[in-house]
Amino acid sequence: MSETTLDQTPQSDAREGVASSDRRKFLRKSVALAASGAAAAAAGNAYAGDVKLETVTEPLKPGATRNILGRGVVSVPYGMPSKFEKHVVRRNVSWLTADTVASISFTPWQDLNGIITPNGLHFERHHAGAVDVDPETHQLVIHGMVDKPMVFSMEDLKRMPSHTAIHFLECPANGAMEWRGVQMDSMQFTHGMMACSEWTGVKLTDLMEYVGVDPKSTWLYAEGTDGSALQRSIPMEGAKDQFGEPIPADQCDMYKDAMIAYAQNGEALRPENGYPIRFLLPGCEANMSIKWLRRIKFVDKPLVTYQETRHYIEPLPDGTIRQFSLVNETNSVINYPCPDNQMKGKGAYEIRGIAWSGRGKIAHVDVSVDGGKNWQEAELVQPVMSKCVTKFKLPFEWNGDEHLIMSRATDETGYVQPTLMQLRNVRGTNSIYHKNSIQAWKIEKTGEVKNVQIENF
Amino acid sequence: MSKLKTSKFGLGLAAGVMALGLSTAGIAADEFNGIGAKITEKAVEPWDISVFYDGTNLPEGSGTVEAGQNPYDAKCAMCHGAFGEGAEGYPKMAGDPMPAFIKSLKQGLDGVGNRGVNNAWGHAPTLFDMIKRHMPFYAPGTMGVDESYAVTCYVLNLGGIVPMDFTCSDKTLADVDMPARDYYVTDTRPDVDNERCMSDCYDYDPKVVGAVVTGVSE
Repeated sequence: MSETTLDQTPQSDAREGVASSDRRKFLRKSVALAASGAAAAAAGNAYAGDVKLETVTEPLKPGATRNILGRGVVSVPYGMPSKFEKHVVRRNVSWLTADTVASISFTPWQDLNGIITPNGLHFERHHAGAVDVDPETHQLVIHGMVDKPMVFSMEDLKRMPSHTAIHFLECPANGAMEWRGVQMDSMQFTHGMMACSEWTGVKLTDLMEYVGVDPKSTWLYAEGTDGSALQRSIPMEGAKDQFGEPIPADQCDMYKDAMIAYAQNGEALRPENGYPIRFLLPGCEANMSIKWLRRIKFVDKPLVTYQETRHYIEPLPDGTIRQFSLVNETNSVINYPCPDNQMKGKGAYEIRGIAWSGRGKIAHVDVSVDGGKNWQEAELVQPVMSKCVTKFKLPFEWNGDEHLIMSRATDETGYVQPTLMQLRNVRGTNSIYHKNSIQAWKIEKTGEVKNVQIENF
Repeated sequence: MSKLKTSKFGLGLAAGVMALGLSTAGIAADEFNGIGAKITEKAVEPWDISVFYDGTNLPEGSGTVEAGQNPYDAKCAMCHGAFGEGAEGYPKMAGDPMPAFIKSLKQGLDGVGNRGVNNAWGHAPTLFDMIKRHMPFYAPGTMGVDESYAVTCYVLNLGGIVPMDFTCSDKTLADVDMPARDYYVTDTRPDVDNERCMSDCYDYDPKVVGAVVTGVSE
């Protein structure tokens, strides 16, 4: 007997009755999606009729775990996922980088069902490898244009008023391999350079008040204590670039949400994510959330570091090189179904996915099952928070036809997630960073789900 | 600034306690009272290694192109190529000259593999910063100040930016004429304006393009 048929076993008439009542409601919603445009109905998305259920007649067996003693408490002092979930791990792409210490790994969103990324699955991006920093000796220095330059121990930081918030972090290279065309056969690799966690630490603005930042300071920079001593310049009100051009006001506001984080999802940061402290700059490309943070300096101009002049830049088809492209714009993706989660027979499904914006809250997510001709608004799952992953869902009845499914998020500023063609028209076909375009998956008649791109879309 | 912040909670509670005629000791009026230590800028100096684009905070020292050849060949060439052409998947030091680089951009080809100090680096002082801070890759931050100036100078020469007889120093680096400097423009996104069309958004059959060309094998 297969597990599938077990799941479909009716336990009683009463349960069957409930199920069919739920099912009728479900179908009404599904039909609404199918009928949201005449074209969709013509494509054969209307309800296809009852899928015949198998009937289980063989008596159920007790099960392998029913007559034994299980493991005692603390047999695994730090708990691990079920041995049946071993495939749910971070992965890397060996050909993407020259080595694994200046490299990136990907979060398996195809196997996650919430907005929080478990700490062991948070993507990693190191510029010189992850280091083990001793919290007993580690110090944070804040200096520069301040009344009193100060140094803090990790215990000092924990005495201060704490701040807790749930925010995503995203590498600007998320999706980078798809600019020229379809390349990756897994959702983990198309969208896995992003993770979302509850962070606790000290608000940057609280520390600024304590050290007395000079109002004339228009930039700060943060620096890590790893081999790369990674440093990024962060604009504040009145910031100008090295040519005297103003940095857009929305980017100069991002620091107000920043914190010095020491906890992630309730426990200490993991070494790969900056233990014992990291800078956290919600909404901005994650390399600015400096890990293994050792120093913050308040200044009145940007550094224009290697990261800012050579690495995280966007050479454009108009012949200019875009710099300080800090914000992660609105993005979304369906993670069920997706190339990693294929269809398992005709009938009822729930399309589920995730949406996020560096500019604030997600306002709407629309789903199309006909390649973007017709759309229906999906339900946003609470909570919906600023600069945080928001989950969405929509019932879907699959009758075995081909479908092009996709999601499109709109954030509270009114910005609508673009198509890939719109991005390419501005940034070319061989760009790298900030690819936040609508992602299409193709459901084949076989139930296979493929990563695809659509011409002129 | 000594009394910096009084939380609303602290004030409210303190007022309530005083109304009862009790001591307010232990109810924080200053949320940071006694936390951390002051530090002098002199004490921070060993950590304050960041160099600005305009040369601010460059350490005193110098190195010539010639002096940079040996350390570059010994510590850098295995990854970045003897002539700066890149190796083993690591970045080039010298890419296409600026006109050819801009031409490829106008064709929509960023070509990260084509980036070098001569086409995608705006200011020479931060090249020194990167080398002193982060290089050589396998032993970051282990080169001395003069050695870092020399390697910076050698790399700038590989990119055709400074002549063979040039000396890089805290006095000269800010004035090096970097070919890409004036091509940088600060981001002003959004740069696209999609609309939230809900039905009949286009009237042709969608054509799927591009099968998975590489994929990932595990």
